[in-house]
Amino acid sequence: MWILEWLPNWVFGVIFFGGFLGLLATYALKFIPFLSTYRIPIQLLSVIALCFGTYMLGAIADNNAWMKKVKEVEAKVAKAEVESAKENIKIVEKVVKKIEVVKVQGAEVIKYIDREVVKYDTIFAPGGACEIPKEFIQAHNDAAKVPE
Amino acid sequence: MKYLAPLLLIILTGCSTVVPVTQRFPAVPQKLTEKCPPLKMLEDSPKLSDVSKTITQNYTAYNECAVRNTAWIEWYESQKTIYESITK
Repeated sequence: MWILEWLPNWVFGVIFFGGFLGLLATYALKFIPFLSTYRIPIQLLSVIALCFGTYMLGAIADNNAWMKKVKEVEAKVAKAEVESAKENIKIVEKVVKKIEVVKVQGAEVIKYIDREVVKYDTIFAPGGACEIPKEFIQAHNDAAKVPE
Repeated sequence: MKYLAPLLLIILTGCSTVVPVTQRFPAVPQKLTEKCPPLKMLEDSPKLSDVSKTITQNYTAYNECAVRNTAWIEWYESQKTIYESITK
């Protein structure tokens, strides 16, 4: 609330009590000439001050309650950001480890192929007894192709 | 009365408050944003070992991609839980 940022809170307390005292004075201190002469304007100003003061004191209480909630949420957000960062680190570490395992496994299989499968290359060579049919290659490549 | 109405209006405009708390959406780890590579194709008249190697490389690429995809799901679930804990 902009008005609360401009003025200190005690100003509204003073306005409230000023209004209250002004109103009280017009009833209790009728014998004072100034108060009896300007009774109606003083009462009117006092009522306005009382209403404004009440409204603003309520607003201050409401503002304080909201500020408390804001502080609570800020603390929760800060905690969540820390947790989020920790979780990110955990996930990245897990991914790096798993990908490493996958790569090692792939490399092992390639080594095995170079050692064992290579022996059958001549049998399965083009023009050989067990030539790999073109249809097989076509089927593989069609399956590996990314659909557009 | 003509002075009272604008006064009340000015006071009420004080009620328009901007919520000062902002929460940034957490950034995804770069490791998870890597795209899956396209699968390798077989060349014409390949050797059996080449076929076998290409298939192995494709399986490896798939497995790497699957790891990242699983991590994406895990990342989303955990961040969602953390995010929802703020509003509770």
